Amino acid sequence: MTTSAKIRFEIEDLAAPDVQKVSGCDIRKTSFYLVEFDTTDKDFLQQHGCDIFADPLIQKIHMNGKGADALDKAAYIIEVTFRPGVTDNPAHSAAEAFGLGGITASVASGRLYAVSGDITRAAAETLAAEEFANPLIEKIGVYTPEEFSALNRFDNINLPHVHLQGTPEILTISLDRSDAELEQLSLDRCLALTLDEIKHIDRHYHDNDVVAHRAKKNLPAQPTDVEIEIIAQSWSEHCKHKIFSASISYTDEKGARSEINSLYKTYIKGATKQIEKQRGIDWLISVFEDNAGIVRFDGKIDLCIKAETHNSPSALDPYGGALTGILGVNRDILGCGLGALPIANTDVFCFAPPDLPVTLGAENMPAKLKEPKRIFEGVHLGVEDGGNKSGIPTVNGAIFFDQDYAGKPLVFCGTVGVMPRKLDDGRAVAEKQAKAGDRIFMAGGAIGADGIHGATFSSLALDENAPATAVQIGDPLTQKRLTSFLLEARDQGLYSSVTDNGAGGLSSSIGEMALQSGGAEIELAHCPVKYPGLQPYELMISESQERMSFSVPPEHCAAFLTLAKIHGVQVSDIGFFKDDGFLTVHYHGKIAAELDLDFLHNSLPQMTLDAVWNGAIARKTWHQEGAAAQKLPQPEANAGFIRTALLTLLGAPNIASKEKWVRRYDHEVQAATHIKPFSGKGDGPSDCGAIWLAPHGGEKESAVTIGCGLAPRLSLTDPYLMAQYAVDEALRNVVVSGGDPDMCCLLDNFCWPDPVKSAHTPDGDIKLGQLVRTCQGLYDICTAYGTPLVSGKDSMKNDYRGKDHQGRDITISILPTLLVTAMAKADIRHTERSDFQNSGDFIYLLGANHAGLGASEFAQHFATDNIPPAIDMEKNITLYRAYHEACQNNILSSGHDLADGGLLVALAESMIGGNKGAAIEIMNAEQSMTDFLFGEAAGRFLVSVSPVHRAVFEDHFQGHSPLRLGKVTDEKELSLKLPAPYGQMTIALNEMEDKWKNTLSL
Amino acid sequence: MEKHIIPLKNAQPKFLVLAGDGVNCERETAAAFIHAGGAAEIVHINQLLENPAQLDSYDGMALPGGFSFGDELGSGQLLALKIRAQLGDVFRDFTAQKKPVIGICNGFQVLVRLGLLPFPNESRAAALAVNNHGEFMNKWADLESDSSSVCLWTKGMKDISLPVRHKEGRIVLTPGAEKQVYKTLVKNGQIPLRYATDINGSYERIAALCDPSGLILGMMPHPEAFIFQATNKTRHSNPLEKGAGLQLFENTLRYLKGEENDQEGLQRHGT
Repeated sequence: MTTSAKIRFEIEDLAAPDVQKVSGCDIRKTSFYLVEFDTTDKDFLQQHGCDIFADPLIQKIHMNGKGADALDKAAYIIEVTFRPGVTDNPAHSAAEAFGLGGITASVASGRLYAVSGDITRAAAETLAAEEFANPLIEKIGVYTPEEFSALNRFDNINLPHVHLQGTPEILTISLDRSDAELEQLSLDRCLALTLDEIKHIDRHYHDNDVVAHRAKKNLPAQPTDVEIEIIAQSWSEHCKHKIFSASISYTDEKGARSEINSLYKTYIKGATKQIEKQRGIDWLISVFEDNAGIVRFDGKIDLCIKAETHNSPSALDPYGGALTGILGVNRDILGCGLGALPIANTDVFCFAPPDLPVTLGAENMPAKLKEPKRIFEGVHLGVEDGGNKSGIPTVNGAIFFDQDYAGKPLVFCGTVGVMPRKLDDGRAVAEKQAKAGDRIFMAGGAIGADGIHGATFSSLALDENAPATAVQIGDPLTQKRLTSFLLEARDQGLYSSVTDNGAGGLSSSIGEMALQSGGAEIELAHCPVKYPGLQPYELMISESQERMSFSVPPEHCAAFLTLAKIHGVQVSDIGFFKDDGFLTVHYHGKIAAELDLDFLHNSLPQMTLDAVWNGAIARKTWHQEGAAAQKLPQPEANAGFIRTALLTLLGAPNIASKEKWVRRYDHEVQAATHIKPFSGKGDGPSDCGAIWLAPHGGEKESAVTIGCGLAPRLSLTDPYLMAQYAVDEALRNVVVSGGDPDMCCLLDNFCWPDPVKSAHTPDGDIKLGQLVRTCQGLYDICTAYGTPLVSGKDSMKNDYRGKDHQGRDITISILPTLLVTAMAKADIRHTERSDFQNSGDFIYLLGANHAGLGASEFAQHFATDNIPPAIDMEKNITLYRAYHEACQNNILSSGHDLADGGLLVALAESMIGGNKGAAIEIMNAEQSMTDFLFGEAAGRFLVSVSPVHRAVFEDHFQGHSPLRLGKVTDEKELSLKLPAPYGQMTIALNEMEDKWKNTLSL
Repeated sequence: MEKHIIPLKNAQPKFLVLAGDGVNCERETAAAFIHAGGAAEIVHINQLLENPAQLDSYDGMALPGGFSFGDELGSGQLLALKIRAQLGDVFRDFTAQKKPVIGICNGFQVLVRLGLLPFPNESRAAALAVNNHGEFMNKWADLESDSSSVCLWTKGMKDISLPVRHKEGRIVLTPGAEKQVYKTLVKNGQIPLRYATDINGSYERIAALCDPSGLILGMMPHPEAFIFQATNKTRHSNPLEKGAGLQLFENTLRYLKGEENDQEGLQRHGT
């Protein structure tokens, strides 16, 4: 038996940052490492470890004794370590560091929190599980200093090791079972297959040709577990989008029935086809085909764009879920065409309000879910690490709060990539083609049990027994290495095709790439693993992160391997592409799966579903308390009320500045961010992000503006309008900053509660009706504006079923939500900012208001009508084109779009950004004053114009009802003159700024 | 007496820009040298390790920003270990040859961990700790430039604004001997840039440090992110006009090209 040394290194910070205060206690965090060496020279190893783990100037290492003094003084000590098999990035880096010195070491990292203050053990345990660790992936210990000392932790060192039970083997799954047993099989294995689908599989295996083929290949007549699992992943809602492809019988509010053959083909792809035809545009290079949509907005380079959601994983482990979400969508870009460089990230979150447990009462919250505040913090940190550590700027996003996201948060992650048009060898970068004979390489990380059943799990409602293996933590460093390797291999022309190993793992990536050549054959035993004992089906479907699959022509294999070595990327040759029409999987030489690609990808019968739209739906509360609608104050017709309303709205969570959070995203790495999240000296909100393309190989002045829009509250009143508001807001955001409305592409991301009628979801047909209406609204506005959809994604089972803290059953379904992301061509010489630039400039409102405050932010705080403002698509797009022309002619000083909160909020934001005042006089408004000042009708801009350009401006916008509101001033206040009975009022700039910047504290 | 080893009148000085293992800003850093009239090559650290002698063919080096090794175990820590373990003397020889070196953000952290800043020939006297507010931040900081600093890179530079993007940027000087170290740094003119207001708790608002020769500079703000007005924080009427960050790169290239006619300056950097 070989002896080994084990050392625990505890790192004490001598120059620790300011002490963290949580729940009235002082918290001191320190980290530690458990290291197991294969040699025994402890003194040498200790010295070496000290060099690795500490900066001697500001840190002290403890390897024996009591550890840091702070631990002794604590009331409780919380120790957190990862559970076996969970990705441990600090440990990986430490092991690599020992490797640099020629030392082989296994490492595990951990954290200690010394909690000082008046706190009980129970409270410390709650704090640990909620604030400092996630019991799903981490082991938590709570100790008094005496107990902690008695652990003899410097001598009793145990690293977490994965011990898998059972011997890896290929099983045969008999489908000769009763219906109930088949349904149970689907449930037990987390297959998410319906009974009809399993029967479809069973019929295939009874097909004469299949029977003969299997006999010839010496395969069992019944499917193997590997085959069943591959089929389940490939047919999951997550991968196959069965609902969007379904045949739908739709009944509208007048009782008229119509048949829709695939929402996707009819309304999404249909809109883009229609626009392409009607406008004759030539800049759509690849849409709905690849991992991302590819467009040409620049004379030298192409751009690709994609957004994804990662809702279920983020509900279970907010940090890991969001981190893998952002890294996952980055890989979609890396795997788009022959590969693109990610140049910008976007992120949009829909959360329950952080103070919901207070306003609703903690006893009414779901018992087994994380608190909204923790989800917010975890998701935010995941996106922060994912973007920052990968060196991709996060340039645009939004955070939307509503209590219906308390069951499942929505985490949308988007990425824009840039690719050359052609490689040196003449191949178009937008196209890929694996050929028979090409080798299959898997690159990136090794396979573990993490992320088993991610695709099928996210195709089910979240319940209290969600599998922990569905959770993964990303590794930005491995992905960064993979990224630079991939781009260099691309430029050297070393591979013929590439794709991301995302949902479904190898089963999806190889299964899909096999379609290019007509077959693939792999050996699972050649895949690198994190630990032994994984079942062959697990190797096939694991979603272990940071992996991509390449097809490499045999003549390039040597160069491919050499390049991988330079970049420190692990690559493994796991098989080859072929053209016999089968996906063949071996495990240690034995066939574990052989599936007809046509059966796997094209045979699934279309789902048939019913959908109904009966008009507006009243909001149903999911909780027991608060069912009685809260009485909201009535608006009053006086200046004091306007002032109160404005300040209330500026501090409302959906409007208040998110600067505290957004500043933690690196938004300027790559040195090409032209419009940043905050504008002007006063850090007002920007309407969108803009990336300058010259640093990425584009033309000198070329840029893109990137924005987003969503209006989930409208989905209850009218989903048709919700889609239109989402599109209009996204387009408005990119146009107001200088984007060209005629060169703008859109992404659609649908997140829906389960729209399939069942015992669980009796109103599934209504939810599907909402989806139909949304798609119709989306089609109509996209075709009216001429803005094509180029990529999208849907997530369909955003429901939570569980119990509240009093043991009562609760079901929480999200608001039906459509996120629209827009990217438009722009020119850095003609972009606009939202902040007022010069005192003396005239302030104008462009675009007509429409009456109605329904679903507005105002309506969340004050009693009002429930009428959503109408939208005039034709007028809006005409205005956007005129506005863009004005940008091109540089006749505007600033431009800001009217969105949440309406006119006065937009005005306050432009003032805050520019650190300017405004003198406004409104003597007659067509609507009521509250509608006019706080309405959120689409299609409106607040602009400022230099007196020099006034005549040209008014002339240019004739026909768009430019309404001169007043002037930008040097007085640091808003002076507002309204008709009787409102009268005159002033609000100090710093009062508005304080409300906007300092209210959203968590 | 030491002599100038730098070949003066080099028409297009060439910089090595180190990449790999999580370094992120290599492309924009290389671009900065090129826009300033020099040449730059991005070299993966593993390529450099395979052939350390190639360092000789470069006139200067840049360690760009990023998250080397994911910033695990402390920012810059592992990259510094790797350089020391596997490049060792080659790297030190390079700096000893009076070739200019810049470390930006993560690169600054590496130079400090390597012991090259602030005093290459003495024991470590500075460290970069986690910001006093404990968080990563991306914001533009107003910087005060010290016109009397020996720093070659910042020579003649006025007060400027540059983006900062870090979590571990708080300068800490040798605990217990802070004042003494600080006095030496001030006396030697080794603090070319300070934050105009305290943004992270850095000792005496230090934003950048150079070695006593002024050739090795480490700074937390990102000059390579402000080479053109197009990436300025605020709107600019001519976005293709040069940004304030370019001057650092121009200064050093001018020196390598032998265009620096300030005799006193030459002597200062040469000895």
